[in-house]
Amino acid sequence: MIKRPQEISSLKANFFVIWSEVVKNMKFLMAYPVIFVFWTIFPFFWFIPFIFQGEAIVGGLQSASFAEIAGTPEYIPFVIIGAILNGYVLTSLYGVGESIRREAYRGTLDYLLSSPCNKAFILIGKAVSESINSTVYAIIQLVVCIIFFGIELTLGVIIPIILILILMILGLYGIALMLAALSLRFKQAHDLGHTLENVFLIFAPVRYPLQSLPFWAQIIGKLLPLTYALIAVRSLMLLKQDFPAVYEQIFLLFVIDVIAIFFGFYLFNWMEKRTRKSGAISQY
Amino acid sequence: MVYNKNSSVYSIQTINLTKVFKKRKHKGIFWFMKKKGKKETSGSSDEVTVALDHVNSEIRSGELFGLLGPNGAGKTTLVKCLSTILIPDEGTAIINGFDIRKQTPFVRASIGLVVGGERTLYWKLTARDNLMYFASLYKMPRGGTKERVKELLALMNLSDRADERLEDYSTGMRQKIAIARALLHDPPILLLDEPTLGLDPTVSRQIRNQIRELCKKEGRTILLATHYMEEADELCDRIAIINNGKIAAVDTPERLKAMVKETELVEVACYNPPHDAENYLRPLCPDVEIITLVRGDEAKGTPSRIKIIGGNAERHVGTVVDALRKKNAQITSVNISMPTLEDVFIKITGAKLAGGGTTQQ
Repeated sequence: MIKRPQEISSLKANFFVIWSEVVKNMKFLMAYPVIFVFWTIFPFFWFIPFIFQGEAIVGGLQSASFAEIAGTPEYIPFVIIGAILNGYVLTSLYGVGESIRREAYRGTLDYLLSSPCNKAFILIGKAVSESINSTVYAIIQLVVCIIFFGIELTLGVIIPIILILILMILGLYGIALMLAALSLRFKQAHDLGHTLENVFLIFAPVRYPLQSLPFWAQIIGKLLPLTYALIAVRSLMLLKQDFPAVYEQIFLLFVIDVIAIFFGFYLFNWMEKRTRKSGAISQY
Repeated sequence: MVYNKNSSVYSIQTINLTKVFKKRKHKGIFWFMKKKGKKETSGSSDEVTVALDHVNSEIRSGELFGLLGPNGAGKTTLVKCLSTILIPDEGTAIINGFDIRKQTPFVRASIGLVVGGERTLYWKLTARDNLMYFASLYKMPRGGTKERVKELLALMNLSDRADERLEDYSTGMRQKIAIARALLHDPPILLLDEPTLGLDPTVSRQIRNQIRELCKKEGRTILLATHYMEEADELCDRIAIINNGKIAAVDTPERLKAMVKETELVEVACYNPPHDAENYLRPLCPDVEIITLVRGDEAKGTPSRIKIIGGNAERHVGTVVDALRKKNAQITSVNISMPTLEDVFIKITGAKLAGGGTTQQ
């Protein structure tokens, strides 16, 4: 009989689950090379609507009235940062939320669920690979911005921005876990993701400052990790503030992360058990 | 292998295992406009299907146990309950000494699963990548896993194609990879649901040989769910006949067949039999137990078969042949045959074991 290798510890095993999921998703990506054409061309197309939108709304690329609430007259860089960070929201929601549905389509979901590992780590692995994709995409966009739109990126803010991005991504993983849990029950992951995408787009300051929202909407916006990440990154990059000025945002991001990840894990594991009970687990 | 000091002589025990599926009826878009008098109670708005009905069975360690039944009999539901993909509504099962309800991770580490056929793998990945990925879900270290994957690919005679994507594999090759995946973590128990479904006879034979070796040479306990009678007859030490979620009989293939051996069994092979052959022939053979028509694929040259079981079946051969000829049936052969598991199934459940499911008489 062929002997199996020795079992490894849970911590190491969970890391391997995440790593293997990343490797698997990267290999999937390599199987569809057209995606690289998309990555090369799309960043250029992506800016054009914002330029025309800026021209139409503020009559150019700068506006005094915009500066009153945003703190900077530069509309285009403001929106560009919003859109780059919002890219992480899209990949987290669609990449992770829909992954359960994709596995069900492939017929692999039963095997993932009947394995002894914690399934939430499979989803974290999916989220990490989506974040890597988003980061590559964001870097390309940022380079385009620096070359064509004069956005300045000083070396001193790079590490604080990376820290803020990591904290934002962790919070998004928690929300994506919740979405994946709901898609186990309600199946319509795309529709759920689309709804959440719009929640982020409306209530987080992606295209306009948070202050332009009514009070009740600002409260919803303050529950989203993207809001604090946007405020912090814009403070560092556009308003040229020092790192201590964004400590508050970093602390709030951390609090949201803890709550979102804890609740995401709990909801996913609870919903998985519930759907195994109802028998609807591998339906789609 | 996952050992449990509490495990008994039985690798799998099911105790009153019951699974019920509820399907909510669609009330229609304008359900709220229905008159009050027509309102249904909440209880009656659900369609209830009892997929497993208090199933009790015991499978010994190292046994190759068959679960024989038509489509929809409850085979896959039983396999999914045992593999913890589904949670039963009532009762439980003990796998390798672990309770499927309370010790789920240990149960999962104890079983290798083949369910759902070739579509359960990642076709865009190579065979090696597939196996490496699934190994990571079983707490296996990467270094040792590489060697294990290499050995399993060799076992399946697929070493030379290990780095090709599964989309370039044949159905049989993909099924071999599915079996290799089930063996990755060296489980003492294998749950195989229709492992040869849709495979050509040569590959089916290879896979059957492999299943036999996994049990007899390697000492694994195997639960084989199938609707192929020949497969169950050829491979299994014992067979449970399952129908409508209930185990109707459990015994060795020989003993099961002996149940109908004592009675006479006549088989008339013919083309174009009357569609209501059972009802047509019944008054002509009042003392036989069962008359049943098993439809053949006549367009492809496989005749239909009329089986007459029990009583003085042989005495009625002449009458039956004449009656069929009158109805323009073209008789190709008449046999007084040895009973098969199909005959056992018919005798026990009163239904036919056909590809499309059971047909009640």
